[in-house]
Amino acid sequence: MAAATSRFSLFSKGQLVVLGLLASTPLIDVAMPTLRLSAPMRTVVTSAIIALGLNIVVGWTGLLNLGIAAFAALGAYAFGILTCEIYPFQVGFWWGVLLAGAVGAFAGWLLGAPTLRLRGDYLAIVTLGFGEIVQDGLKNLEAITKGTQGINPLPAPSLPGIEFSSETPVRWFYAYLAILAVVVFLCRNLEFSRLGRQWFAVREDELAARCMGIQPDKAKLKAFAIGAALAAVGGALIASQLSSTGEPANYDFQMSILALCIVIVGGIGSITGVMVGAIVMVGLNNVVLPIATQSLQNAGIGSTQNVLTSPDNYKFLLFGLALVLMMRYRPDGIIHSGKAVRK
Amino acid sequence: MSALLEVQNIVAGYGSIEVLHQVSLEVHEGEIVTLIGGNGAGKSTSLMCISGIVPLRGGEIRFAGERISGVGEGIRADKLVGRGLVQVPEGRRIFPRMTVLENLMMGAYGRDDKAGIAADLEKVYALFDILKARSSQLGGTLSGGEQQMLAIGRAILSKPRLLMMDEPSMGIAPILVSKIFAAVRELNRGGLTILLVEQNARAALKLARRGYVLETGRVTLTDDASKLLVDPRVREAYLGDG
Repeated sequence: MAAATSRFSLFSKGQLVVLGLLASTPLIDVAMPTLRLSAPMRTVVTSAIIALGLNIVVGWTGLLNLGIAAFAALGAYAFGILTCEIYPFQVGFWWGVLLAGAVGAFAGWLLGAPTLRLRGDYLAIVTLGFGEIVQDGLKNLEAITKGTQGINPLPAPSLPGIEFSSETPVRWFYAYLAILAVVVFLCRNLEFSRLGRQWFAVREDELAARCMGIQPDKAKLKAFAIGAALAAVGGALIASQLSSTGEPANYDFQMSILALCIVIVGGIGSITGVMVGAIVMVGLNNVVLPIATQSLQNAGIGSTQNVLTSPDNYKFLLFGLALVLMMRYRPDGIIHSGKAVRK
Repeated sequence: MSALLEVQNIVAGYGSIEVLHQVSLEVHEGEIVTLIGGNGAGKSTSLMCISGIVPLRGGEIRFAGERISGVGEGIRADKLVGRGLVQVPEGRRIFPRMTVLENLMMGAYGRDDKAGIAADLEKVYALFDILKARSSQLGGTLSGGEQQMLAIGRAILSKPRLLMMDEPSMGIAPILVSKIFAAVRELNRGGLTILLVEQNARAALKLARRGYVLETGRVTLTDDASKLLVDPRVREAYLGDG
């Protein structure tokens, strides 16, 4: 097959370029410290991981999931419970991240098993509802989750001889980037695997897939579970970065939509595209808009009192506009996957 | 000669509607058998039952001497493909956003004999040279006839023992229909057993050795295809010779 030649390298060219680009962002941070990139850089990585999980479900298998944030939340809380000093487990950062992924996979499987027979919009509604249920569940299970306080403090990454703390954001960023590279590597292998072919076939035509000897239900369930696992890993990394799970309301519908925007704007079905989407959307959300708000305030035009003059308040208008414009002018996203689905 | 496929008194339907009322048919090794009938006679449902996609409400199906389906039980559809029971679904159902080659390789999805896959791919290319010329084109950009060739080629890559085709002539230019039927004949000469469902009764009966006429879920007539071609009942109902 055409892809066979490049298949045995770790990453595709596009993926290498984007990972390389990300790896060089600390230089931008040094050159322009006013951008305050140290936190957004890690957010790009965590968002990319969640969006890559969503891409498996939405982009490759063609199932609209509007509740991916729920799996990020479960990952964050699993990480919190497994690592925080107030609980007996304290398995440490790496085990925490891995087990959070396992919890996510299990949750994805649990949600998927009874609901994946639903099609299109109905499945979207169920996932939407699941997103709300998880938030409320986490808020009300106060005995375990500390309710709206969130679980804290949580550990930073740890490696023998290397210290990670809020004083070393660049080091921390590179640890996250390494995890992203592993996720990209896994996704790339999945894309070319037998399972990947099952997903594409199911997305294109379920009956035809059946005629090829594929079980669509099983393929979908695997997509759901693996997508949820990646989202949970992303959630665990968010929690570690904040040293807290934050409150359950942080993992709301907006987070799910942001992940969906990343997938669609970046290039549905394309790993490289999803990473580019994460850079663009998180860049807009966490760097451009706050800076615009700040500079308007400094110029005396906007103030925190006047909601209309703060660009930050327009972000969902802008995201919506971005989605509409992408759908109109570039429905395959910034990066073409070559075989992406047009919604 | 024992039958490769034996369908015995199968009953099936959707919801409260029963579509097949005790349909029986058999296909022997090396034959082309055709199942003809009008719209809604149950032709496609019969194939879906044999493929294990529509569950049986009565009767049983045996393939290569083994019971593959009965009421409330049976071998799963995905396993049947591996045993060589392969269907070319109605309306072609190719994967439009995969290339021609990717479509063909989807057919070989359940196989890992690389040499065999490569040989079968060459076989498909020899049968339909247009597929080779368009191997890197997206499936959705092919014409209807070419898509049908692709659907057949994809099924060949599944290494069928029995190839079931559902209306391969539907919505296709006549010149391509004869090309596709010629290919079916050639596949059969190469030893492949074929069950052909068709509305184009004349073409199907000319191609097949035996035929079954299905009317509202019942087999009303079965004979050698050459005899069905001249049977007055068939001529009147399906061949347009009033």
